[in-house]
Parts: sequence; C-alpha cells; structure tokens
Amino acid sequence: MTKTYPKASRPSLDNVSVSIDKGEFVFFIGPSGSGKSTIVKMLLHEVTPSKGRVVVNGKDVTSMRSWKRPHFRRSIGCVFQDFRLLPNRTAYENVAFALEVIGKTKAVARRVVPEVLELVGLGGKEHRYPHELSGGEQQRVAVARAFVNRPLILLADEPTGNLDPDTSIEIMRLLDRINRTGTTVVMVTHDSNIVNQMRRRVIEIESGRIVRDQARGVYG
Amino acid sequence: MRMKYVLSEVLVGLWRNVTMTIAMIITMAVSLTMLGASGLIYTKVADMKELYFENIQVSIFLNGEVSDEQRADLAARLDADPLISEVTYVNKDEAFKRFQEMFRDSPDLLSAVKADQLPESYRIKLVDPQQYKTISDQYASAEGVDQVVDQSQVLDKIFNLFTAGQNIALAAAVAMAIAALLLVANTIQVAAYSKRREVAVMKLVGASNWFIQAPFVLEAVVAGLFGSLLGLGALVALKKFLFDDALSALQGLFAPVSWGEVFLTFPLMAGVGGVISAVTAWVTLRFYLRV
Repeated sequence: MTKTYPKASRPSLDNVSVSIDKGEFVFFIGPSGSGKSTIVKMLLHEVTPSKGRVVVNGKDVTSMRSWKRPHFRRSIGCVFQDFRLLPNRTAYENVAFALEVIGKTKAVARRVVPEVLELVGLGGKEHRYPHELSGGEQQRVAVARAFVNRPLILLADEPTGNLDPDTSIEIMRLLDRINRTGTTVVMVTHDSNIVNQMRRRVIEIESGRIVRDQARGVYG
Repeated sequence: MRMKYVLSEVLVGLWRNVTMTIAMIITMAVSLTMLGASGLIYTKVADMKELYFENIQVSIFLNGEVSDEQRADLAARLDADPLISEVTYVNKDEAFKRFQEMFRDSPDLLSAVKADQLPESYRIKLVDPQQYKTISDQYASAEGVDQVVDQSQVLDKIFNLFTAGQNIALAAAVAMAIAALLLVANTIQVAAYSKRREVAVMKLVGASNWFIQAPFVLEAVVAGLFGSLLGLGALVALKKFLFDDALSALQGLFAPVSWGEVFLTFPLMAGVGGVISAVTAWVTLRFYLRV
C-alpha cells in the first residue's frame, strides 16, 4: 500500500507490502519519519491508505466506515511510550474504565481486572494512582488495559521509550508472555538492545520503503 | 450501569464548570422567556382580534342641521345596504346617556357637556369589518352626515402596538438564543478539553461514539431544560404580578391570559431549549472531538 499525506513531497509509505501472521511477534524499526507510525495508524484505522488495502483480522478496513471504527478497535490493544493513563484513577480503575466504556458490567470488571493486573505483575498495587507507581509499573498498567479485553492484536508504539534498560526488558518479557497466549504483537521501536535480545521478526523501514524483513533479526 | 455512568458524568460535568453552567442556564432562560412571551402575545392578539372585531362598529355621526327627510333617507339606504348586518339609531338623549355612563368617574367632563351637544348617529355593524373603506366612501358625503368613524382603525393601532411588542420580544429571544448558543458551544469545548484524556482512552479502547458524546450532549440539554423551567417561572411571575395585579385595571381591554395558556408555552420553550442545546453541543463535538 501507499500513503501520501497531503502537502508531502514524497509518500510516507511507498508501495509497502507486509503480511503478519496471527500469533507473530514483529518489530518495526527505522529512523524517525520513516513511516513506522503511519503503519500503526493504518492498523488502527486512523488513516487510510492512498492506494492499496489494509486487512486486519481478515477484514478489509480500507473502506471501513468511521462509525464502525469503535467496534473494530476493540480487537486491538494499544500501548504507547507515554502510557496514557488517567491520572485521577487508580491502576484498577484505569483498567476497569477501558472495560466499562465498551459496555462491560462492573461485575465483569471485578472478575477480570485483578486477574490481568496479576498477570502483568501488579498484584497488590491495584489501588495505587499512576503518580504512586514507577514508570515501568505505569507501563504495566497500560499493558493490562490494552490486554484486558483479550484483543487479537497488541500494538506497542515505542513502549520502552520512556523506560530504563532493565525496566524495558521486564516490559518485553511481559509482551513476550502475552504473545505466547496467541496474541499478535506488533511493536515499533528504536531500542536496538531489545530487538537484538528478542530475536524476533524485524521489518526495517526507511523513507517509506521496506529495506529489510528478517525472521529472527537484529537491529542492524 | 452505562446509563448511570452517563448521568453521573453529566452531573459532574455541570458541576465542574458551574459558573459557565449558570451563565448558560440564565441566558437560555431569558431567551426562552422572550420566546414564550412572544408566543403568548401572538395567540392573545389573535384572540383579541376575534373578540373585538365581532363587536366592532362603524359610527355615522349626523350633523346638527340634519333634516327629518335626510335622516329617513339615510336610514333607508343603510337598511338596504348588503354590506351592513345591523343598524342602530342613537338619538341625542341616548348619546348623552351613553356619554354619562362612559365618563361617570369624571364629573368635570360631564358638567361641561350638555345633552344637545352630542350628535345623533347610526351605529352599524358590518358583515365584513374589513369593508370599512367602502362604507366610509359611500356615506361620508351623504346629505346630513358629519363624519364616519371606524373603531377598527383605532383598534388596528392598538394591535400594531401588540405586534410590535411581539416582534421586539422575538428579536430579543433570537439575540439571547445566539448568546446561549455560543455559551453552550464554549461550555462543551471546555468540558471536552477537561475530559480529553478520558476521551482519548475511550476512543483508543473502542468506546462507541454515542457513548463518548452522550455526556456532553446531555449536559447541554439538561442546562437547556433548566433554562426552560426558569423561563416558565418567569412567565408565571409575569402573569401573576404584572398581568393579574399591576395591570388588573385594564382587564377589560386585554383578552385574559389563562394559566393553561401560560403552561402550554412550556413544551415550546423546553423543546426549543433542548433541541438548540443538543444540536449546538453535537456540532461542537464534531469539530472538537472528531470522533
């Protein structure tokens, strides 16, 4: 697919074709402005390609109407560099919020949220506020929120960008564990250390083109 | 649970920005009061026109030197005229009696006028009150006629006054409605800004659009409905204190305003207030939230 933003001299993504299988763990790497974020936005149906198709979970989302987007998003969990937690809610409430706003009952939240917080290693810290948690712990809450709805895909946009190396590795272990449950993990990163350690599929993008697609790659 | 969530969000939203909420409610109330008042005036003018025009009379005053022959001639013509439904002859004595009756509270005026100073006249009712001009043209130049006076002309002036009042109220209502509209838009922007994190997360995890927008829209609608309640209160006060008390001396002049009519303006005010708020909020969100 190709994406050209209006007013841009060259396409952000130029004739890129990628296929990611269910259950894969994929790194997208490349310098800033290479078009990594555009791929993430396309997977989220935030932007649509100028040419070509985007198929997610077997559904062609290229021509999806915007009112269908919310329901589509429920099958994708997202984690970001800046965590995006609600500061006035506890860890538990942050995760429960994500469930409640898509119509799950409080009873469901009471059953599911402690489970997923336990999974990400935050058992016992359910009632801390984000400012009472370390960066790594906040990102765990974000992962818990992204995963609580059991999405088919977990999108992580530089999830370790704000974390120190040790904490980053813990987060990666967590993402790995989630990947083992069958969830496809797509991660955009600059972190060469992590890519080299994980030895997973690496897709390198430069100036909107794929320059490398390696099954058990390193940062390069 | 979702309804409970939405409602609590609405209350929290209204309270978080309480000064703005109050400003919004007050402008809305004033605008809707004006709207309700102009609606009332409109129905009242229609009522009064019917009431007055039913009894409206054209008076043909005869001059002092009218001869018996001229009088009889005129009476015959009036009787035969198809535009006229009813003719009453009022002689000088009767005119004086009517005069005394009408001005019994003003003894000075009574003593200044003697019985034979008042002209005799024919009081006629028209089949169609609008046909006054024809009658006037026909009879003003007849022998022995002094002048033809049409009450409806006087009434038209009064009604024009009412209509002007109604238009002023309507213009004020529109101006205030614009102010209310801008306030709603601003309030919604502030609310959306203060909840931007929640909204971002909701969009991210796939909350439906209506669920994201509903609290904002309902916030505006609740303010609009509060405004219309206040507007109803203002109209009730207007009727009670202005119409029933202060202006009670003029009761015979106005068609009475019933409580039913006052309360009937509420659906109008609530509907307009609610719809304006909802549409404004929704449009604002389109621009501001881009959900």
